[in-house]
Amino acid sequence: MALFLMVALPGVGALLVLAVSRFGLAQVRRVAITNVLITFALSLVVVASYDPSAVDRTSGRPQLTQMETHIAWLGSVDKDGHFSGPGPDIQFALGVDGISLWLIALSALLMIPAVLVSWEAVQDRAASFYALMLLLESGLIGVFAAQDIILFYIFFEFTLIPLFFMVGIWGGHERRYAARRFFIYTLAGSVLTFLGLLAIVLSYSWMAPGQAVTFSIPTLTEGISQQVQTNPDAARYWAAVSPWIFLALFAGFAIKVPLFPFHTWLPLAHVEAPTAGSVLLAGVLLKIGSYGFLRFALPLVPAACWGHFHIVSVLAVIGIVYGALLALAQDDIKKLVAYSSVSHMGFCLLGLFALNGPGITGGLLQMVNHGLSTGALFAMVGMLYERYHTRDIEAYGGLARKFPILAFCLGIVAFSSIGLPGLNGFPGEVLSIMGMFASNKLYATIALTGIILGAWYTLWLVQRTFFGRLREPAVEGHGHDHPVVTDLNSREIAALAPILILIFWIGLYPEFFTSRMQPSIDKIVSKLARVRPAAVAVEQTSTVPVTGLNVGRNSPAVVANE
Amino acid sequence: MAIEWLAKLIPLFPLLACLITLVFGARYLREKSHYPVVFGCGLSALCSLILAFTVASNQTAEEPFQTVTVYQWLALDPVAEPLAEGAAPSSAAPALTPPVNFSISLRVDSLSAIMLSMLTFVATLVAIYASGYMHGDRSYWRFFTCVALFVFSMIMLVLSASFLQLYMFWEAVGLCSYMLIGFWYEKPEAAAAGKKAFLVNRIGDFGFATGVFLIWVTFGSLEFQQVLNPEVVAAVFRAKPEMITWICVCLFTGAVGKSAQFPLHVWLPDAMEGPTPVSALIHAATMVTAGVYLVARCTPLFILAPEARLLVSFVGGVTALLAALIALTQTDLKRVLAYSTVSQLGYMFLGLGTGLASGIAGGMFHLVTHAFFKALLFLGAGSVMHAMGGVIDMREFSGLRRLMPQTYRTFLIGSLALAGLVPLSGFWSKDTILSAVHEASHGPAAHAGAAHADSEHSAEAAAEPNVAPEPKLLGVSATSLYTLLFWMASFTSLLTAFYTFRAVFLTFWGEEKIPHAAGHHAHESPPVMCIPLWILAIGAIFLGGLLGHPTGIFDGFLARTIPMVGEGHHGTDWYVVILSTVCAVTGISVAYFMYGLPSKLPEQIATAAGPLYRASCNKFYLDEIYRVLFVLPILALASLSRLLDWSLIDGLVTGVGKLPGVAGRLPRPIQNGLVQFYALAMMLGLAVLLWVLVIKQG
Repeated sequence: MALFLMVALPGVGALLVLAVSRFGLAQVRRVAITNVLITFALSLVVVASYDPSAVDRTSGRPQLTQMETHIAWLGSVDKDGHFSGPGPDIQFALGVDGISLWLIALSALLMIPAVLVSWEAVQDRAASFYALMLLLESGLIGVFAAQDIILFYIFFEFTLIPLFFMVGIWGGHERRYAARRFFIYTLAGSVLTFLGLLAIVLSYSWMAPGQAVTFSIPTLTEGISQQVQTNPDAARYWAAVSPWIFLALFAGFAIKVPLFPFHTWLPLAHVEAPTAGSVLLAGVLLKIGSYGFLRFALPLVPAACWGHFHIVSVLAVIGIVYGALLALAQDDIKKLVAYSSVSHMGFCLLGLFALNGPGITGGLLQMVNHGLSTGALFAMVGMLYERYHTRDIEAYGGLARKFPILAFCLGIVAFSSIGLPGLNGFPGEVLSIMGMFASNKLYATIALTGIILGAWYTLWLVQRTFFGRLREPAVEGHGHDHPVVTDLNSREIAALAPILILIFWIGLYPEFFTSRMQPSIDKIVSKLARVRPAAVAVEQTSTVPVTGLNVGRNSPAVVANE
Repeated sequence: MAIEWLAKLIPLFPLLACLITLVFGARYLREKSHYPVVFGCGLSALCSLILAFTVASNQTAEEPFQTVTVYQWLALDPVAEPLAEGAAPSSAAPALTPPVNFSISLRVDSLSAIMLSMLTFVATLVAIYASGYMHGDRSYWRFFTCVALFVFSMIMLVLSASFLQLYMFWEAVGLCSYMLIGFWYEKPEAAAAGKKAFLVNRIGDFGFATGVFLIWVTFGSLEFQQVLNPEVVAAVFRAKPEMITWICVCLFTGAVGKSAQFPLHVWLPDAMEGPTPVSALIHAATMVTAGVYLVARCTPLFILAPEARLLVSFVGGVTALLAALIALTQTDLKRVLAYSTVSQLGYMFLGLGTGLASGIAGGMFHLVTHAFFKALLFLGAGSVMHAMGGVIDMREFSGLRRLMPQTYRTFLIGSLALAGLVPLSGFWSKDTILSAVHEASHGPAAHAGAAHADSEHSAEAAAEPNVAPEPKLLGVSATSLYTLLFWMASFTSLLTAFYTFRAVFLTFWGEEKIPHAAGHHAHESPPVMCIPLWILAIGAIFLGGLLGHPTGIFDGFLARTIPMVGEGHHGTDWYVVILSTVCAVTGISVAYFMYGLPSKLPEQIATAAGPLYRASCNKFYLDEIYRVLFVLPILALASLSRLLDWSLIDGLVTGVGKLPGVAGRLPRPIQNGLVQFYALAMMLGLAVLLWVLVIKQG
C-alpha cells in the first residue's frame, strides 16, 4: 500500500499545487514540499518493511517482489495477481524488489533537494513548475515499481513529458532546442525498446500456448527461463531471437544511460535545464536506462548479454575514459559535471556487464551513488549560479573563505564522486571494477585509469573555484542595492543534508544496502551463470588455482596449525 | 582479551578527538582545539606501548597474530542455491567470481605494534609542538581536526587485516595529506601542491588497486591471514609463479606513489607547502613510510618474486642517489629535508628488496629511527621558520645558533643521526641496510641463504626458488646490480652527510643574519615546541643502540611476524662499518670546509660543474619533463575530444536526425498536384502489374 501511495500521492499533489496556485507562491511551495516529504516518509516505510528473506506462504519459495498492487485493465485479477481472463493479461501492477528498492528511495529522496533548490530560483509560473515536478516524481517511482511491461513503458515515456516542459520553459537561453533534442533523441530509442519488449511478450505466448498473453514482468522472466530450460524448441527459438531483442532493448536504454556514443544529448540538456531539472535528470532519469538493462536485458536474454559482453563493456570503458577527458576540457561547471556523469554511468554499465555478482551489485550501488553525488553537485552548482549568475569556472576563485559551509559540502561530495573510501562512491566503484576484473582484466584495468582522471578534473575544479585568492564574478544589481552574497542558508543546508548523510552511510556500511539487493541480484546472476559461454568458464577456473582456500578463514589457529 | 580491547581503543581515541574538534572546534574550543587531539594521541600512544609489551609477552610463534573484527563492511554471500524456478535444479552454477567478504578488522602482530608505537608517539609530540607552532592561526581547529583524522586513518592502515582495508585507509591518509598540504588554500601554490600530491598518489594507487584485484582473483581472498600464509603463497607460486611477480610489482607501484620513490617522488617536495608539523608527521615520519610498511607486510609474497625484489632495490637505490643529488643544491631548508626523506625512503626499499634477513630488518628499523630523527629535523626547521617569520630560504638567514640554542643543539643531533655517525640511531639502521646490500652483492650464496631461511617456513613447497636461476633485471644479473647499488648507496651516504651539514652550517653558523619578515622579536621557540624536540633528540641518539644491532631486540621482535628475520645470523660487517663511517666523516668535513668556514668554494664549484649544478638545482627538470610528456598531451587529448565530441559524434547524431527529412524530400516531386501526372502514374502502374502477371502466368 505504501508503494501504491508513493506513486499516487505526487500525482494528487500536482493537482493540489495547481489548485492552490491562486493563493500565492508560499502556498504552492508549502504544498509541494509537504507532498515530497510525505512521499519520502513513505519511501522510508517501504525500505523498512522490505524483507529480503521473505518467503511466499503458499509455495514456500522466496518472495522477492513485495508490496504488490494488482489492478486489471482487461479481465479480472485477484489480490495476488492471478489473472483470470478474458483477453490479454495487462495490469496496473506495482511491486518492489531488491533491484528497484533503492532506486525508488533515491527518487523520493532527491525530490527534497529538487524542491528546495527551486524555492527562490523559480518564481515564474511556479505552480506549473512544481506540478510538473511532482508528476515527474510519480513517473519515476512508477517506472521502477512497474511489474507490467505496458505499465513500465507508459511510465518510461511519461517521465519525458514533465522534464521536456521543465527544460523547455524554465531552462536557459537555448532551452527550446535542448528540450526538443532531448525529447526526440530519447523517444527515438525507446520506440525500438518497446518493439523489443513486445517481442518478449509475443515470444512467450508462442512458447507457452494456451495461456492468456501476459505482460507481467515476473511471469515473463520466470516463464521464459523455465521454458528455455525445459523445452528444446523454445530454447532454439529463444537463442535465435534474443540477440535481436537485446539490440532493441539496447537502443533505448543505451541512449538513456547514456552510453558512449549516444551521450551527446546529455550535456546540452543539463546545461539548459533548471537546477531541479538537472538534479532529477542526472540523479534519477539516467538510472532508468541502466535499470532497464538490469530488469530486462540481463534476466530475460542472458545469453545475448554474454554475446554482447565485449561490445557493451568496451563502450562502457570508452565512456569512462572519454567522459573524464571531456570533463577535463570543460570551462563551464555544469558541463563538467554533465560529462562526469557520462564517465560515472560508464562505471555502472561496466559493473552490470561484468555479468557476475560483485559487478552487478556494484553497478546497482553505483547508480544510487551517482544519483546522490551528482544530484548534490548539480544542486550546489545551482546554488552558486543563483548567487552569481555564471557557470564559468574562470570567473570564480578562492570561494572557500567566503562559503565555508558550501566548501565543506562540496568537498565531501567531490571526494564521494572520486571514490574516496569511507564515502559512497568507493564500494560501488570497487565492486564494479572487481566484478569486471573477474570477467576481463584488460577492460577493468583501463577503466581503473578513470579513477586517476576523475580525481584530476574534480580536484582541479575544486582548486580553481574554491582555492587560491578570492575572485568573484560581478553581482547583478546597481549601486546601493548591491545584493549581499552569503554562505548557504538553512534551506540550502536542508537540501543537501539528506544526501550527505547517505553519502557517509553507504560508504561506512554498504552492507546495509547490498544485503537488501542481494537475493534479487543472485537470481539474475544464477540465470547468467547458467548460460555462461565455456571460454569464460575456463578462464575462471584457471584463475583460482588453489581450492579450499576458504577453510579456516575465520580462525587463525586453524591456519597456524595446518 | 586485553589485546582485543587495546586494538579497538588505539584508533578510537583519535577518532573521538577528530569528531570533537570537528563539532565543537569552530564555536567552542577555538584556541583549545588541540586539547582533545593531544590527549587522544597521548592515550593512543600509551595503549600502543602497552600493546607492544603485551604482544611481546603473549603472542607465541604458533599464534603470531590476532585478528579483531570490528564489523562486516561488505559481504556478498555466494549464490546459495541455483534457484531453478520450479524445474528440477539443473547443474549448479559455479561461482562466477571469488567470494566477496570484506570486514573492517584489526590485525595485531609485532609488525603493526612497531608501527603503532612509533606512529602514536611521534604524533603526540607533533600535536604538542603544533599547539605552539599553529598558535593564532585562524583555522586552528581545522588543523587539529585534520591531524586527528590522519592519526586515526594511519592507525587503521597499520592495523588493517586485509588488502582492501589497507587500500581504504591508504586513500584516507592520502585525503588527510591533501587537506593538510592545502591547509593554507588561499596560497595558490599550496592548493596546487595538494592536488598534485593526491593525483600522483592516485597514479600509484592505480597500481595498488590492480594488485589488490589480482590478489583477489588469484587467491580468492583479500585477508592477510589467507594471502600472506606461506603455505598458500607457495601453492599459488607452484601454479602460477609469474602471477606472484605481477602482484608484487603492482603493489610496489602503490608503494612508489605513497613513499615518494622515483619516478613518482615529485609530489613530496611540493608538499612542503603544508604547515611544518604536518611535514614532520605525515611527510617524514609516518604516511610516507606506508609504502615501506606495505612491502614489509607482503614479505611472504616478495620473497617468491626475485625479479620484483630486484626492482624494489633498484628503484630504492636510484631514488636514494637522485634525491640526494637534488638535495645538494636546494636553498629551501624544508626542501632539503624533503629530498632527504625521499632519499632515506629509498634506502629502506633498497634494504627490503634484498630479501635478506638483515635487509628486511634493516629497512624496517631504518623506518623507525628515521621517523625520530627526521621528525626532529623537520620540527627544528619549523622552529627556525617560526622565529624567522615564515621565511625558510637558507640564503635569508644564518648564524642562528646563539639566537636559538635549543633548536640548534637538537637539530645538530638530528643531523648527526641522519648522517649516520656512530653511535647515533641512524648509524645502526643504515649500516644494517648497507651490510645487507653488500651481502647481496656477493651473489647466489647469499640468495641461497635467503631461500634456505624461507624454505624452513614454507615446508617443502618453496624448494623451487632454490634452483631458480639468478634473477635479472633488464639483463643485468642480481650480483652485479647489487654491487652497483652498494656503491651508489655508499656514495649516497657521503652526499647525505654533506647536504645535511651544509644545511646546518648555512642556518646556524656564520654571522647572524635575520630576515626582515622576522622583525625584531626573533627568538627561541617556546618550551611547548622545544620539549618535543628534546624528546625526539633523545630518541635519535639512543634508539638505534638500544633496540638495534647491539641488543637485537628489534630483530627479535620483528621476527615474530616475519620469521625469516630471525634466521639471519649476521655478524658485524666491519668493511661496511668503516666504509660508511668514512663516508659520513668525509661528507661532514667537506661541508665544513665549504660552508662552515668562509669560503668561495661553493660558487667556484657551482660554476665549474655548470650544467650538472643547474640540473640539480632544477630537480633534474623532472617536473617539466612530466609536464611535457604526460600533462600537456592529456590536456591536448581532452581538448581534442571536446572538439570531436561536438563536431564528429554530435554531427553524426544530427545527421541521423536529418535522415527522415531527407527521405521525405526525395519523393516530394512526385506529389506535384497535377491530375494528369497521377493518371499517367496509375496507368503505368497498371501496365507493370499486368505485365508481371502475364510473365508469371507464362
